[in-house]
Amino acid sequence: MGNLDIALKNAMNIDGAIGAALVDYTSGMTLGVAGGTGEIDLTVAAAGNTDVVRAKLRTIEMLKLDDEIEDILITLGSQYHLIRPLSNRTGKGLFLYLMVSKSRANLAMARHQLRTIEESLEL
Amino acid sequence: MSRVDDLPRRTRPQTGTLPPPRALPPSLAGNPTLPYPAIAQELSALRLQIPGVHGCVLGGVDGLLVTHNLQNGADPDDLAALAATTYGLGRQVGLRLGQGDFQQSTVRNAGGYLSVYAINGQALLAVVGTDSINVARLHLHAPTTAAKLAELLDGVSPTTS
Repeated sequence: MGNLDIALKNAMNIDGAIGAALVDYTSGMTLGVAGGTGEIDLTVAAAGNTDVVRAKLRTIEMLKLDDEIEDILITLGSQYHLIRPLSNRTGKGLFLYLMVSKSRANLAMARHQLRTIEESLEL
Repeated sequence: MSRVDDLPRRTRPQTGTLPPPRALPPSLAGNPTLPYPAIAQELSALRLQIPGVHGCVLGGVDGLLVTHNLQNGADPDDLAALAATTYGLGRQVGLRLGQGDFQQSTVRNAGGYLSVYAINGQALLAVVGTDSINVARLHLHAPTTAAKLAELLDGVSPTTS
């Protein structure tokens, strides 16, 4: 579990990070959360974004693309939401979820850092 | 002979550790004064809100069916009884561990889920879902439905039979 806590802490160290979570998209439940505010409940975000990931996976399957999601970027008025499914064997069925403030974050840097965190995350 | 006596024996549990007896509330099943249309609306709203929900069963803690909107051919009477069984187990756990009233219990099988939510001291909400259901979303929405059902069941006059 230490590994997970470190990963989430690293995700929160990304410039402009508002909240981070590791989510199981087979159930929508969170394995861990970090950050978040009074108004933003990360467990709600995790459950909702599970449907986003599932919809995209289903679309890829229907299009017979035989490919996988590297990451998903959702741009809001004031935030970026990054979704990154875990690609290693131990992280099957999980995704990392990161919310960053649009004004404070460097998107390319945040995306790069999230990839590093994902690659180093062994559960 | 003496060898048998040497074996460890189960001793009688100390008396006075049993949970306190309780008077069962009057059954909700078959009560004609329940607001059935409003209850049915809440149950179908929950089913529509979350993809993968096969249906919901509203039952009493006595195991009797009140109403349901199951679609997959499962027997609602059986499910009401199973929900009450789950509740009984949860209640015992709560009593033994001093964790208070039963709130929720989820059973996951290879092909799906059964979640049981406490509505009030008298009624339970059981939700049947497919294996692919978003359980986290169910756990976010179902307590709200249970609270609304508790409100609907609140002012109902109990049947005497």
